[in-house]
Amino acid sequence: MKAGRPIRAYAITWAALLLLLALTFGLAHLKLGAFNPVASLVIAAVKAALVALFFMHLRRARALLVLFALVAPFALAILFALSGADYATREVHPAPWVAPRGE
Amino acid sequence: MSASSREIDAGGRGEPDRHARGDVDPRAWREETASLGMWVFLATELMFFGGLFLAYLYLRTHDPEGVAAASTHTHEWLGTINTAILLTSSFAMALAVHAAKDARRKAAQRLLVVTAAFGLAFLVVKGIEYGMEWRDGLVPGLRFTLAENTRTATLFFFLYFVATGIHAVHLAIGVATVLWIAWRLRAAALPGWRVDEIDVLGLYWHFVDAVWIFLYPLFYLVNLNA
Repeated sequence: MKAGRPIRAYAITWAALLLLLALTFGLAHLKLGAFNPVASLVIAAVKAALVALFFMHLRRARALLVLFALVAPFALAILFALSGADYATREVHPAPWVAPRGE
Repeated sequence: MSASSREIDAGGRGEPDRHARGDVDPRAWREETASLGMWVFLATELMFFGGLFLAYLYLRTHDPEGVAAASTHTHEWLGTINTAILLTSSFAMALAVHAAKDARRKAAQRLLVVTAAFGLAFLVVKGIEYGMEWRDGLVPGLRFTLAENTRTATLFFFLYFVATGIHAVHLAIGVATVLWIAWRLRAAALPGWRVDEIDVLGLYWHFVDAVWIFLYPLFYLVNLNA
């Protein structure tokens, strides 16, 4: 880990992150229909992955550390999948008394 | 190193287990356990933010038009500038950790101050943004005067303020801790000063950055093509 190489890797990561930011901002202005949210989320995931792999050193981390880093996204995926399965398949019948004033 | 100890490979990556071998470098061991501990903490943090993301997903999938309409009231340019500021702060933090590992104390100290400055800049922009939103009457419960005063708009801005507010608190804690460590680094050549402290602080900082990377498209980029 002596001079030169890691610094260059960090600089390239930073440049890539700013480029992806410009890309996602630009794409959001185009009419792409369902592709709009997909594009912004995929780009966000790529940016987060770049931060985790290079800035947070996961690329060179031991297997145990990578496992620890993956547990939370995995648990989050379960939360989203199970809650999503419920919300996506259930009709919403708001009771009259939950409506806020003015509606 | 004996041949038999080479066969023990509990650490993966084909390296012999240093603990079985009996020559653990205490410094490396400390750094490893420190970052492992921080990753566990970050896992709980991700679950903490995860509930908010789930609430957002529910709102977005159940009333996409309402979310699209409400999101036009956020300031996408300020959000984009702030994203660039935060990404740059992470770059400075990565360089600070690198300098610390190279035992370049002065450089590490300076880079930590730069990191904190970018973090503060983010908070200032966010504060200006909150001020504009207060004047525009976008704060649910306190001052919500939006013409299209729907349940979805109220929920959208409720989620916006809770998510970005909690994120800002995290960042403020990060800024304070970075400055505190930079301050402690001023005393020249502390014997064996804690590189792992800076390393672990870096992990926290990058995590807060990564949370914002997701908040940004969800609150600012929903409906810019109308």
